[in-house]
Amino acid sequence: MAATQFVVNGLLVGALFAAVAVGFALIWGVVDIINLAHGEMVMLGGYTSYWVLKLGTGTAESSVLLFLASIPVAIGLLFVVGYLLQRTLVSRVIGTDVFLTLLVTFGASIAIQQLAIRAWTANPRSIQVRFAEQSMALGGIVVPKMKLIAFAGALALTVAMYVFLQKTRTGRAIRAVSQNPEAAALVGIDVEHTRAVTFGVSSAIAGGIGAFIAVILNIQPQMGLIYTLKSFIIVVFGGVGSIPGALIGGLLLGSVEELVSGFISSQWTLAVSFSLLIVLLVVKPKGLFGEGAEQ
Amino acid sequence: MSTTEEESDGALRSILPPKQVDWFINVCDHYGWALLLVGALVGASFPVLGLEGGYYMTVLTEMYLFAILALSWDIVGGQTGYPSFGNMAFFGIGAYATAILTKDFALAFPTAFLLAGLLAVSFAGLIGIIVLRLRGHYFAIATLGVLLVAQQVSRILDITGGSSGKILLETPTAETFYYLFLGLLVVEIGLVYYISGTRFGFVLNAIRDDEEKATAMGFNTTYYKTAAWMLAGLFTGFAGAAYSLFNTFIDPQTAYNGAWNVELIAMALLGGSGTVAGPVLGAFGLHTIIELVETYAVGWQLVLLGGAVIVTVIGFPNGVVGTLSEYASQMDYYKHGGMAATDTDDGAEVSADE
Repeated sequence: MAATQFVVNGLLVGALFAAVAVGFALIWGVVDIINLAHGEMVMLGGYTSYWVLKLGTGTAESSVLLFLASIPVAIGLLFVVGYLLQRTLVSRVIGTDVFLTLLVTFGASIAIQQLAIRAWTANPRSIQVRFAEQSMALGGIVVPKMKLIAFAGALALTVAMYVFLQKTRTGRAIRAVSQNPEAAALVGIDVEHTRAVTFGVSSAIAGGIGAFIAVILNIQPQMGLIYTLKSFIIVVFGGVGSIPGALIGGLLLGSVEELVSGFISSQWTLAVSFSLLIVLLVVKPKGLFGEGAEQ
Repeated sequence: MSTTEEESDGALRSILPPKQVDWFINVCDHYGWALLLVGALVGASFPVLGLEGGYYMTVLTEMYLFAILALSWDIVGGQTGYPSFGNMAFFGIGAYATAILTKDFALAFPTAFLLAGLLAVSFAGLIGIIVLRLRGHYFAIATLGVLLVAQQVSRILDITGGSSGKILLETPTAETFYYLFLGLLVVEIGLVYYISGTRFGFVLNAIRDDEEKATAMGFNTTYYKTAAWMLAGLFTGFAGAAYSLFNTFIDPQTAYNGAWNVELIAMALLGGSGTVAGPVLGAFGLHTIIELVETYAVGWQLVLLGGAVIVTVIGFPNGVVGTLSEYASQMDYYKHGGMAATDTDDGAEVSADE
């Protein structure tokens, strides 16, 4: 029974990881860049939602609806941040050494993180959302209501992005640039703009998830790197460029982490997930669902 | 872009003729060993001339420390083309090894120091076999993962003192550490300088430029990569081994410092990665700047570090030494009717492409 409870917890949190990883995979697939500042977008999204509520209502406690209303602000703001990050910094190193692209985003990650510490101190913060009853029991399994809402929100964002990529004109442009930037430019797609939109969309989703994380866990300026690394693990697991793969990878990673922290200790989760990653990289470098990720 | 570059080149050329830069680089190349000896003597003479333990000695010692770290990173990152984000893992292992051996096992510092280096090398060998099979994004993130896992493990274990770390009170004098770090640095520069002229060094560069071709030529690239990786692990481990006692305190955050890892990459890159002098000069330069910022604007040094990394990567990824030698070789264009210049350009593109 305990195991079922852990798996349920893991699936609930895993959907958030998956949504963050989907954005990470999008940039990796379309622009061929590992955005090491991706976790910082989660952090900034969390803070945006926090400050909207705090400055709007004077307190970090809020009702569900008010909290949900703050998410579009986080999404919108982070879209702009992501768009500008690509336009001002990343676009200058596209097509150069892989290592340089990593270093630029790592530099951005450090700068954002440190500025956040200067601005908001390193203390963890969180948003409190009150219910009449915090959780409900389903057949002996306890499910916190907020986690369920976050789960639904994460799935909704992931599906929204999937539909956006498949059905809209911009989405098709993004996929075209991903397949062949030169051919895309020939048919009249503004490649630079499309890449920046990709960054924006990816960051926007990360920002929206950040708001949920501010409620169900907490936020602090240095939280970003862990989310970047988790995204990496998930994407490698699911295969680069595969959104369903990333979704399954996220749910699986969440479950594994909850099981490890439930049966062993929460301190070991990072070590276990990374050991899994290294084993996976060595055994099956293309991921379980990947098509053609180069090693 | 090209027009402005040419204009500024014209102005620059009258102040600093490429010919003289070329001459300067040739002299440095030719008298490398003599320069190293002079540098070592100058460094060693400071305490004799009256530099006493205190702020300035600490800053100089830290400069040597960072130069060791940057040069070690460059053996694998710059010379072999495997940029690692996890070099500080070896540093942490070395640091914890001396801390535990001297405090809990009451070993003398020299013995503990050697054992710590040995431990770091063995760890490097073990990890290297696994991660050196990966390339590009995968290698970089896997090494970052190794660093974070090592940090996490040191937080959990009892023997490392958990997250509160270990306080080390019985330590050698500041002067001992000054000479120890200086000595390590001189030995490492000598070794890397020597290697860069040997077959071993050329194979490392070949792996960086095109690993498949290097394999096709019959070189066992795994052997060369692992050897370079272990050499980097050895010096990084030694640096860490001395650092824990030098700092009199060690905890997971200091031992496995991710920001330092970026800092030493920035140093190697700023100075000119893939060269011998570059990482050392970069370490001296960037550490001076960071030290100044730490004095006059406390708390902003990491913001500056992030900014410095971005500016270096976008502005001049070849670093000071790389940019200078490229500038100097422009003279070849006139000497050889364009061929030599085209050749060097190709070389630069190859290394930038992979």
